[in-house]
Amino acid sequence: MISKREAHLLSTLTVASPRFYQWIAFLLAVVLWGLYAYVHQLRQGLIVTGMRDEISWGLYITNFVFFIGISHAGTLISAILRVTETEWRRPITRLAEAITVFALCIGAPMVIIDLGRPDRMLNLFRYGRIQSPILWDVLSVSTYLTGCILYLYLPMIPDFALLADQASLGAWRRRLYKKLSLGWTGSAAQWTLLERAISIMAVVIIPLAISVHTVVSWIFAMTLRPGWNSSIFGPYFVVGAIYSGAAAVIFSMFVLRRVLRLQDYLEPVHFRNLGLLLLSFAMLYLYFNINEYLTMGYKFEGIEKEYLTRLFFGDYAPMFWTVQAIGVFLPLVLLIAVLGLRSHTSLTIPGVALASFLAIIGAWAKRYLIVVPTLSSPFLPGQRIPWEWTHYRPTWVEWSVTAAAVAVFLLIYGLFSKLFPMVSIWETRDPEPAASEAAPAASPSSNWGSISSIPVVLLTLALAGAGTAHAGESHKPRKPAPTALSLEWQALPADKLSASSAEDGPPDSFTAGRVQNGLSQLFGHLSFGSKSAEEEKPPSIISLKAILKDERGAPVAMQPVSFSLRTSFGLVQYGSRPTNEEGKAELIVRDHRYGKYPLLVAYGGDDSFAGARAEIPVDFGARPAPALPTAGVLIAPYATAAIGLPFVMFYGFMWLVFIYAFGYLILWRMRRSAQDKQPH
Amino acid sequence: MTLPRRSFFQFLARGTGAIVASWAVVKGISATVFREVLPARSVAPTNQKWVMVIDLAKCDGCRDCTRACGAMHFVPPMQEWVKVFEVVDNPAAGRYFLARPCMQCDNPPCVRGCPVGATFKRTDGIVMMDQERCIGCRNCIAQCPYSARAFNWGEPPHTAAELSQPYSMEYNYPHRKGVVEKCIFCPHMLRQGKLPACAQGCKMGAVYFGDELEDAVTNSKGETIPFTKIAKRGAAFRLLEELGTEPRVYYLPPASRKYPTPDEKKALEMHS
Repeated sequence: MISKREAHLLSTLTVASPRFYQWIAFLLAVVLWGLYAYVHQLRQGLIVTGMRDEISWGLYITNFVFFIGISHAGTLISAILRVTETEWRRPITRLAEAITVFALCIGAPMVIIDLGRPDRMLNLFRYGRIQSPILWDVLSVSTYLTGCILYLYLPMIPDFALLADQASLGAWRRRLYKKLSLGWTGSAAQWTLLERAISIMAVVIIPLAISVHTVVSWIFAMTLRPGWNSSIFGPYFVVGAIYSGAAAVIFSMFVLRRVLRLQDYLEPVHFRNLGLLLLSFAMLYLYFNINEYLTMGYKFEGIEKEYLTRLFFGDYAPMFWTVQAIGVFLPLVLLIAVLGLRSHTSLTIPGVALASFLAIIGAWAKRYLIVVPTLSSPFLPGQRIPWEWTHYRPTWVEWSVTAAAVAVFLLIYGLFSKLFPMVSIWETRDPEPAASEAAPAASPSSNWGSISSIPVVLLTLALAGAGTAHAGESHKPRKPAPTALSLEWQALPADKLSASSAEDGPPDSFTAGRVQNGLSQLFGHLSFGSKSAEEEKPPSIISLKAILKDERGAPVAMQPVSFSLRTSFGLVQYGSRPTNEEGKAELIVRDHRYGKYPLLVAYGGDDSFAGARAEIPVDFGARPAPALPTAGVLIAPYATAAIGLPFVMFYGFMWLVFIYAFGYLILWRMRRSAQDKQPH
Repeated sequence: MTLPRRSFFQFLARGTGAIVASWAVVKGISATVFREVLPARSVAPTNQKWVMVIDLAKCDGCRDCTRACGAMHFVPPMQEWVKVFEVVDNPAAGRYFLARPCMQCDNPPCVRGCPVGATFKRTDGIVMMDQERCIGCRNCIAQCPYSARAFNWGEPPHTAAELSQPYSMEYNYPHRKGVVEKCIFCPHMLRQGKLPACAQGCKMGAVYFGDELEDAVTNSKGETIPFTKIAKRGAAFRLLEELGTEPRVYYLPPASRKYPTPDEKKALEMHS
């Protein structure tokens, strides 16, 4: 039942050379060192990193984007090859899927390591705002990780059953395999269910994988920063991710082939085919790079000027051009040479592996160049700040954590290869009789208006003038006579006095407001009008009349009366007006104001008349109800449907598919069918 | 395969039913999940819309505003919530000073990007910052085009006066490690009817502050001017207007200055 090459594959699970243990010990040492560095960072804060206010994201975010990118290949390539029923895929799917799962397990915690307050991580669930790209990431990466684990696990089930029967393996291992096989007996009904679940997962994992790296790019593309503010970032990242991921698959094939001696499984044809895939993605990536940098570089304008200068000719230039050469151009030339020239076919495997290695290194450096130079070219470049703030240099802590991340990845991958066969046994057997066609899942897919000019509100208020008038008849007639000021105000209709106020009249804005209200039901604060409510209001026109009289009630003419308004922090001075023969001073105020304010009128007095003051509350119309600015887009503290629904629906659908494919088909139906069979 | 007419109509009816039913479900869910209710903390204590006007013609770059702000909020060293930049728009033009508080944008990118609502817009226009909720992801720093945000990379040095008060979102201290901080227009001063620290501290009277609904802004010298008037007359501009962030801070152009310009200042220092 077990062929010779299968026996060898099984032997890789039990036989381990001393060099393997040395390797594991070395990796463990690196991990422990990284752990020490992280604990140091937890205690001291992110001050131990090279990041500062100017360049506030660094190596950790670079690693995050890099590992999520690496994760792309595995599952995506395996899924595409499965859906298209490509036969040569069979030996490589598992090692590719394993890369995906482990890269995600390393990439996702990178963001948590980058947090200033990892202790408050759960706030993401308590207070999460779906409008934030960070939350999209939480949603998409967690969904993707779940999907990838299931997609790795499902095709392993028949192998678990097979391994559980192998006497050469230890007892505890066989018990583990037995548990993991979920009662697999290999009946026709079980094969049908499993094939169905696998193909459903293969179909949904493709859009899921593409969405994940798009969402990762959106963390950057949703900002205004030069170099990130780009609509092409989604596909650019996806292509870059598949490119680096394919390289990771090829390189791990190369390593596993040598270390585990899997020459029987991993043949030159696999390297050739995946090499061709890598070549096409290298060209595609080159195209995206040219598109991205040429459109910016040709114009060389605005805020991007500073960014491009540093990237093309400045301090980032050596790295930038090296990365373009090593990460894209060199692999391209190498791949064309070993795959295109017939004389070099013997070099296919090392050539493709070398190109992959360069592509992986280049991919990491490219992520760094995406994150850091943009942050170092802000709109308002910092002044009077230390040089290190604008020239990011990672510290030993960041390097240690990064090394530990790579080490953890290699460690899990190495241990996985010892615990589970890296090549699917059942899939690489000669035609299986029970395999049935699988059905792929179908995928769906206030206005409070202008202050209606208050007809006539009259408030008359008379305040006795400063009662300094002691009847000192004995004194000279020089003694100033007491005066009294009375004050009245009137709101005038808006169109009476101003021609200019007619242009921002209310009729249109009223209907516009209603449309906006209706839309805001759905879109929340995704408003369509840029005009703020304050601008739509025509000025209130207030006519003020102050009457100055002496103690006998006779008007005092030709005297200056000053007007002012008491606001929160001070008096708005309207200046003085002289009284006429009737003792009246008039002033017309046209201010864009709301609410009630005390209006002060004062008469300074002179030699013959004493000073006087009066105060009256003037109403400029009701203040608008407190609300968030309509100009604010997606700033609401509550979830906004326009952004929330698409995300919730897309990823919610993915979870439903997982529940159906794994929960229902495998856990429920497949296990039950196994239990039915067992009694006989 | 032929499809009988009857079953075709059945198919249509079922399809319509399914669409209507799922629409009802989606609507029901979105009505409960996507509620449009402002939480209490988003509603400001007073119904006002704060606005700041900085007259660049009066700004002599003395950085009194930065210092006043630092003293009021015990701002940790190396942080400047109000930062004074020396700006040169083009090689031919003279230099001028530009004080940059938080712009308190009406379309704030930081609020949009915050994953936990630690930074949020209040109805009085202030973009608040809650250091007790912030997880320190620094997405807001990446989002802010004005570089108006600072991060406590390590444990900030404390003073006894700072620690004597309980933490309040309104004055943003005592400071904590691993969270983002920024200018918040001193809400605790506004509560008392006083100007923010920078406006009060500016000896030149270059910083005007007030309520846009009140149409009045006041500076440290007690000069109160209708906001619309100062903005219209002075041809006020906003920083990086082209980004559409709708700042609540306006600048009056640095025309007809009555103090030494940055270049002259430098020359004076050289001579002395």
